[in-house]
Amino acid sequence: MVEQCCKWVDMEDNKCQNLLKQDSPEELPSLLKYIESKTVSGFDDIEECGSLNQQLQSTARTTPTSDPVCALAKRQEDASQATNSERLHSVSISMPSSPLGNDLESNRKVLLMDNDEMDVSRKNPNFRDTPVDVSSKQPKQAKFHSQPIPVAVGIAYVDAVCSTGKASGPSEGQLRNSRIDEFKDKSFDSFKTWSGRLERQLSHLRGKQCDPEPEVNTTQNSEIEVLSVDRYFDALEGPELDTLKDSEGLVLPEDKQWPFLLRYPISAFGMCLGVSSQAILWKTLATSTSTSFLHINLSVNLVLWCISIGLTALILLIYSLKFILYFEAVRREYYHPIRVNFFFAPWIAFLFLALGAPPSLAKNLHAALWYILMSPIFCLELKIYGQWMSGGQRRLSKVANPSNHLAIVGNFVGALLGASMGLKEGPIFFFSVGLAHYIVLFVTLYQRLPTNETLPKELHPVFFLFVAAPSVASMAWANIQGSFDYGSRVAYFIALFLYVSLAVRANFFKGFRFSLAWWAYTFPMTGASIATIRYSSVVKNPVTQSLSVILSAISTLTVTALLITTILHAFVFRDLFPNDIAIAITTKRPKKSKKQFHLSSGNSDAKDIEASLKSAGSDGEGTEVSLRSISVDKK
Amino acid sequence: MDDMQSQTQVDVVIDESIINIPAHRHREIGTKRSSSPVLARFHAGYFRISLSFCGQALLWKTIAEPTGASFAPRRLLSMFPSKAFALLWSIALFILVTLSLLYILRCFFYFRMVKAEFLHHVGVNYLFAPWISWLLLLQSAPFLAPKTFPYMVLWWVFIIPVVALDVKIYGQWFTKGKRFLSTVANPTSQLSVIGNLVGARAAAEMGWKESAMCMFSLGMAHYLVLFVTLYQRFSGSDRLPAMLRPVFFLFFAAPSMASLAWDSISGNFDTPSKMLFFLSLFLFTSLIFRPTLFKKSMKRFNVAWWAYSFPLTSLALASSEYAEEVNGEIAHGLMLVLSSLSVLVSLALTAFTALHTSMLLPDNDPIFLSAPNNLQSSASKGK
Repeated sequence: MVEQCCKWVDMEDNKCQNLLKQDSPEELPSLLKYIESKTVSGFDDIEECGSLNQQLQSTARTTPTSDPVCALAKRQEDASQATNSERLHSVSISMPSSPLGNDLESNRKVLLMDNDEMDVSRKNPNFRDTPVDVSSKQPKQAKFHSQPIPVAVGIAYVDAVCSTGKASGPSEGQLRNSRIDEFKDKSFDSFKTWSGRLERQLSHLRGKQCDPEPEVNTTQNSEIEVLSVDRYFDALEGPELDTLKDSEGLVLPEDKQWPFLLRYPISAFGMCLGVSSQAILWKTLATSTSTSFLHINLSVNLVLWCISIGLTALILLIYSLKFILYFEAVRREYYHPIRVNFFFAPWIAFLFLALGAPPSLAKNLHAALWYILMSPIFCLELKIYGQWMSGGQRRLSKVANPSNHLAIVGNFVGALLGASMGLKEGPIFFFSVGLAHYIVLFVTLYQRLPTNETLPKELHPVFFLFVAAPSVASMAWANIQGSFDYGSRVAYFIALFLYVSLAVRANFFKGFRFSLAWWAYTFPMTGASIATIRYSSVVKNPVTQSLSVILSAISTLTVTALLITTILHAFVFRDLFPNDIAIAITTKRPKKSKKQFHLSSGNSDAKDIEASLKSAGSDGEGTEVSLRSISVDKK
Repeated sequence: MDDMQSQTQVDVVIDESIINIPAHRHREIGTKRSSSPVLARFHAGYFRISLSFCGQALLWKTIAEPTGASFAPRRLLSMFPSKAFALLWSIALFILVTLSLLYILRCFFYFRMVKAEFLHHVGVNYLFAPWISWLLLLQSAPFLAPKTFPYMVLWWVFIIPVVALDVKIYGQWFTKGKRFLSTVANPTSQLSVIGNLVGARAAAEMGWKESAMCMFSLGMAHYLVLFVTLYQRFSGSDRLPAMLRPVFFLFFAAPSMASLAWDSISGNFDTPSKMLFFLSLFLFTSLIFRPTLFKKSMKRFNVAWWAYSFPLTSLALASSEYAEEVNGEIAHGLMLVLSSLSVLVSLALTAFTALHTSMLLPDNDPIFLSAPNNLQSSASKGK
């Protein structure tokens, strides 16, 4: 395959030259000849490219155009397989996973970014990446590795290469590098606040030199459009709508690791929910009469509470940075039909912190705090529930999914906190609003309407969110009424039933990719345990007490297991924050005519291309004819 | 339904051809020569006007009651002169009687149109509107105390059509093939629920707790189903023409009437009433913050604008009961704001109607409710 590729490249020498003559005046024969002699041995070889790398780093190059050539020859691995090895082979082509997704211009940008990344010695002031994931292992397993490059795309790459890799002098090399910088920045600019202007302002303030205004602003502005919810449904799949469908492409390069902030989803707040609910659990275990036989110390609650405060502060800080610097990404998360519910998570986490505060602190909480904590929830739910009621494309029958419970449970948690602080009217307000909308959501989810596009067909941990609302509602009602009366018991039994019906299907919860959002699914378990403890303190007998102990143990064990998994993914596998594909979908569906360029099998396609190229004439028109014939072939 | 449509279409042709002929039409209707007589263009949706006025009458009756509130403006309101209230009530009565007579005449002369209205998914709900208006007027009557014999008789007279319509329409929701709830549900369907709830409140005022509970539970059970269905918006937004968007206000009319009904049944404004009131308040806030929803319908004056008034009045009523119970400054302030809003809106609508009388009965009613026009237009749109 490699050889075929080289042969093809060689064959294309003349054609390429001609075509390039049409596009740009640079000449390429030396470029391609260099490939011929070097390619076979160095095609998949990192060391080879590494040596080329070092060559690149010094600007006094006799054939500086070789680096782009190497780029033409090498492939980069899928960015999601992050490892900590050094960046050796930044010379590679970033072949889009589905070449139709990216237009040629973005390909060009990608290529140039790769060139820039080769330059490891240069400290780029605007370089915001953590060391990009590069694998030292042979990227044979990579999906796009060593595939013959479709002619048009390949020529575009070469063209791009030519336009930047012309010179041999040091000054021109630097010019190229700065242009590379420029292009590299621009690739993520569409996601930065005000298309990167804020960032330039900040760097200007820091005293660094400003880059010239981006020329490709217009194309990027077109990306900053309102994404209709249909686009998310069309482009994504999976229970959390975060897996890209095969036919779709992204607006950001897929095989590069994106800046950390871009990879940081709102579902990270699920961690705060999980940990702070544990704090509440251990507080209830320590203070409740029915579990006093366990002799749990309140210090456990204090420790957990401090940890959750720290964690919440950290996560909030990072997300605020993302909000400030990459507002477009936040906007896209807001339009995502599942991620939008996680925008409630920070406020629910604050409510949990207030609920889980050690009893000595909880006494001094002022009523005004409750109003402050509830106002963001109120505003958000005005927006979201209004969309459900009247929004055409975001109506409930279409977007209903179990994560919507996050939008509902905030009401009940707020009612619980308010009632425990002694307020009367406010808790009833939020309880009634939450109850009305919970009924609607419950019925809709149970119906599994055929028009519903987001419900996962198989069981997924997200279904545990079903247990959240009734268990918290039962506790809230008990606090409002003053005692665990019939209303609370009805709600509690519903919660218990849902819990059991999900728990007995535990063996169906398999085979799912771990994601940070899983933390958000643990707090319902904890909530059910707390409700059980409350219930057992009213109906005190060995059955209820043992049930409360068992449920608490299950929830603590689950959280611990999740913690271990998270640490594993964070430090061992290093894929805790993969590229956040869900926010980078294109605003328009990629055109069907480009489908043929999606090469899934290497050999046959190479032969096809080769054959059609052979059959074509030797002039530029012939190449275009062969392009068309390729497209016909692939249909 | 299709048969009826085609039949009615044929009907229109015939009717229009004989419009200019009979002279006795003028005697009965008293209109100038126009393309179709007033009766043909009149439809049950015009009872929105009577709903508003009767609602206002009830609101002022409730506000003018002596109150134990310590809030000064509230006490000011309770000094509303009874003569002014009697005047308001008489105006409401007059309007309602006129509209009722018109509709009775329409039943006689254009029965097929009335039937077509009954079969339309929006029109059928407005058949509840006259009875709701009469019940509201009954409750706000200054000279008729609740526990008297005439009150009881009148209650029966007004409640029987409501129950009959209930049986017919609710039964259709889950049995009749072409008129399942999922296909016909729209915000005006909440009028049927409101009818039950107003009847329940009137019964509770009389002291008939069981009948009141019966009507209340009937209304609430179907309200639950309807609420879920409407929120799901299963069939999207195309069931309701843009001109009818003001009926979205009915979303918060139903819970406030439910809150009032439960308040009468249980004797005081306890937790369920509060919860319903809060829900109503939330939905009101949610709709207020979505002005673009109503932009299209506000371009031309039409009788659908009157749909704004009654829900605001019922919310103001519920808030006044809430303020009575809670007796806090915020509650009283809220009640004042809502009441003044409802009064302002009603006055504005009256002014608009007076200014645009010619547009009140448009020849081709863009919003359906004149059945043949709608059926023609819907046929032409190919719905």
